[in-house]
Amino acid sequence: MYGLEAINAANGWAMAIVGSLIVFSGLVVLSFVISKLHTIAGFLEKKKPPSKIQDDQEKDLKDIDLSGEWPSDIREQAKLYQPIIDNLGPSFELQELYLIAEEYGVPHPHLTITEFRYAGFLVSLDEGFFSWNFN
Amino acid sequence: MDLLLQFLSNTGYALADMRHVIMILVGLAFIYLSIAKKYEPLLLLPIGCGILVGNIPFFQGFGLGIYEDNSVLHYLYFGVTSGLYPSIVFLGLGAMTDFSSLLARPKLMLLGAAAQMGIFFTLLSALALGFLPKEASSIAIIGGADGPTSIFLTAKLAPHLIGPIAIAAYSYMALIPIIQPPIMKLLTSREERLIKMSEPRKPSQTELRLFPPLGILLCCFLAPASIPLLGPFFFGNLMKESGVVDRLANTARNAIIDTATIFLGFTVGASTQGDVFLTAKSVGIFILGAVAFSIATASGIIFAKIMNIFLKEKINPLLGASGVSAVPGSAREVHLMGLKEDPSNFLLMHAMACNSSGVIGSAIAAGVLWSFMMQ
Repeated sequence: MYGLEAINAANGWAMAIVGSLIVFSGLVVLSFVISKLHTIAGFLEKKKPPSKIQDDQEKDLKDIDLSGEWPSDIREQAKLYQPIIDNLGPSFELQELYLIAEEYGVPHPHLTITEFRYAGFLVSLDEGFFSWNFN
Repeated sequence: MDLLLQFLSNTGYALADMRHVIMILVGLAFIYLSIAKKYEPLLLLPIGCGILVGNIPFFQGFGLGIYEDNSVLHYLYFGVTSGLYPSIVFLGLGAMTDFSSLLARPKLMLLGAAAQMGIFFTLLSALALGFLPKEASSIAIIGGADGPTSIFLTAKLAPHLIGPIAIAAYSYMALIPIIQPPIMKLLTSREERLIKMSEPRKPSQTELRLFPPLGILLCCFLAPASIPLLGPFFFGNLMKESGVVDRLANTARNAIIDTATIFLGFTVGASTQGDVFLTAKSVGIFILGAVAFSIATASGIIFAKIMNIFLKEKINPLLGASGVSAVPGSAREVHLMGLKEDPSNFLLMHAMACNSSGVIGSAIAAGVLWSFMMQ
């Protein structure tokens, strides 16, 4: 059997329409729940007492804001990263650097970090740790 | 002399026919594409090598071939036919996936849903071409552009088609840089491709931890047949986001997924023996696979354009193309096309959101099709 006859015989129209509706409605419900997730998370997070360490970090973050205009020269970019590096100490993981850079408002930190690696400003110390090599 | 002649008549060289030669050339082409062109090397290299191994002719009954009960390859192939490897791959995939951008912009999930329309259109096309309903469902899932999902559903519904369907699914995933860009260009104007997406907010750790259990509950309750894929997927993601089992999450996203990928690719390749692979059905599957993949890409883009009619903050319609679940190939392609139009337009993070929702969408679609066929 071929063509429309085969589709009708296998109940194909119903399978295609109901199937696509189920998939679509499932993802719509999931996206709706996700859109409310921050409210639930906010409620849960309010219950946690803020730790002192967290407060100190927040103060530090307020002092520096790198979200403004970003230079195109890699050496200028490295200079802007200096306070973040000073905060991290002599050796650190790239994930740590990325998260702090993001908190400071650095636009697209993954791109600058990759460029620093190519330029040799970030030197691997093995086992996932890196040091800063820029003067 | 007789012994030598008898030995020579038993060698693969003497037993080979045209079908073996064709499949060996296909295998070599896969290996070439993976090494020289770097097209999906993690998949094409094991599959290509598997095709070479699977197409060496031998005397049946020696326990050598993948379809012979007592062979080593047959035991390894059990991971494919039972759906074990796809589940393990999903576990690792979950442990790799970052849902931040999806949680920041939940509406992008709709693009992942829209791109699944290719699956259902192909279901109708395959039925119209005379495939049986179970075969048609297995072929249709190629439109999800998700190799493990295609293999999983085919193993359950039409195990005799695993070889061609897996090869078609992975080939089209590898050919994303060739298939998707023309469709993206055709369906979008330059102005649309230039639309910039604003920087997404950073979801809190609590949100990221809440999402996997919610995902399991919502998706698996809706389509219980998707449990073998989505259960491990969200479990892997919970391990990643929980922050308390980093060792387990690292193992899942490295050693475990790598092991499963090696055996999955190699045995799927080995299952493409010329005599079972080179049939008219395989040709039909390849044609329908291309149609499925193209329609999935187009539906995502068209749906993004429809969404833009109602949205105040427009979304770049290119993102619709990454609603197929070929992670991260299609997201990378969208990103590159965005960069080509405007070097300061970074779409990768947003495209990954659509990509990960596409993974969820195609797994639900597989579960839905499987449950339809069980009735």
